[in-house]
Amino acid sequence: MLVIKRLMTRYMPGMLTCQQVDRFLYDYHEGQLSFAENIKFKFHLSMCTDCQAYVSGYKQTIASIKASEQIEQRPEKIPEDLVQAILKSIKR
Amino acid sequence: MSESRLVDGLLNHNDVAFETLVREYGGAMYGVILAIVNNPPDAQDCLQKAFVQVFENIQSFRRDSSLKTWLHRIAVNAALMLLRSQKRHKTVALEDYSQHYNKYGERTVFATHTAHIDTDSADGSGNNIEQLFERNETKTTLHQLICQLPEKYCNVLLLRDIQGLSTKETSVYLDLSEAVVKTQLHRARLFLKAAFLKAK
Repeated sequence: MLVIKRLMTRYMPGMLTCQQVDRFLYDYHEGQLSFAENIKFKFHLSMCTDCQAYVSGYKQTIASIKASEQIEQRPEKIPEDLVQAILKSIKR
Repeated sequence: MSESRLVDGLLNHNDVAFETLVREYGGAMYGVILAIVNNPPDAQDCLQKAFVQVFENIQSFRRDSSLKTWLHRIAVNAALMLLRSQKRHKTVALEDYSQHYNKYGERTVFATHTAHIDTDSADGSGNNIEQLFERNETKTTLHQLICQLPEKYCNVLLLRDIQGLSTKETSVYLDLSEAVVKTQLHRARLFLKAAFLKAK
């Protein structure tokens, strides 16, 4: 598979390299690639286990960052002593 | 109390209006600040400072945006200022975490060999970042890593991925172009990905 990928990325017009995949990654994740770019991107991924791992790790990182914040319980109200401290500092 | 009446009261420095503001919007602002500073005592101090800023700058509030949006921005700025003042930004060289390619543009390894790509995992994902994030201490570690980023990367990541702002909103908050926000966010994410694997 590695040999085929090498041959294709070097000699097949329009085939993305790993470096180009990296450049497209942000827009791919944001769903902002054009139709043609998206196909090229996915085609490269289908052939490249290194990039599969790389892209998967990137997606997991973002998902996990966002998930870590959702676990946090955010209070609807702040404690009364903090309310009083704030009002005191405003009136100073 | 309606937002319009509340703003009128605030502009007249009405004590009741300020108390209503603190009680109604304090929780949301505290949540925003806590997500950025990740430390309750610091977040409480910061919230206090943010409300002082609200009090001092209420005359500059223009009704073309909602009060909630304006307060959110003040809370975010106060939290980012606190991070800066704490000098948590021990700058790391992002280059150490960047990808390397050969002359044909093929992926080789990270500069830090500890963060190399593992293609032998059964699921093909190459790492277990999700499992790492499930550990109790991970949230703190994650925050420490974010704070180690150069300030510009740290701020973009906090606003986009932690606060959930859009690229456009982030660009307005930080006074950057959307293209710069995208670039910095991408680099920050790549750093975190590599740094987490290194910390594993």
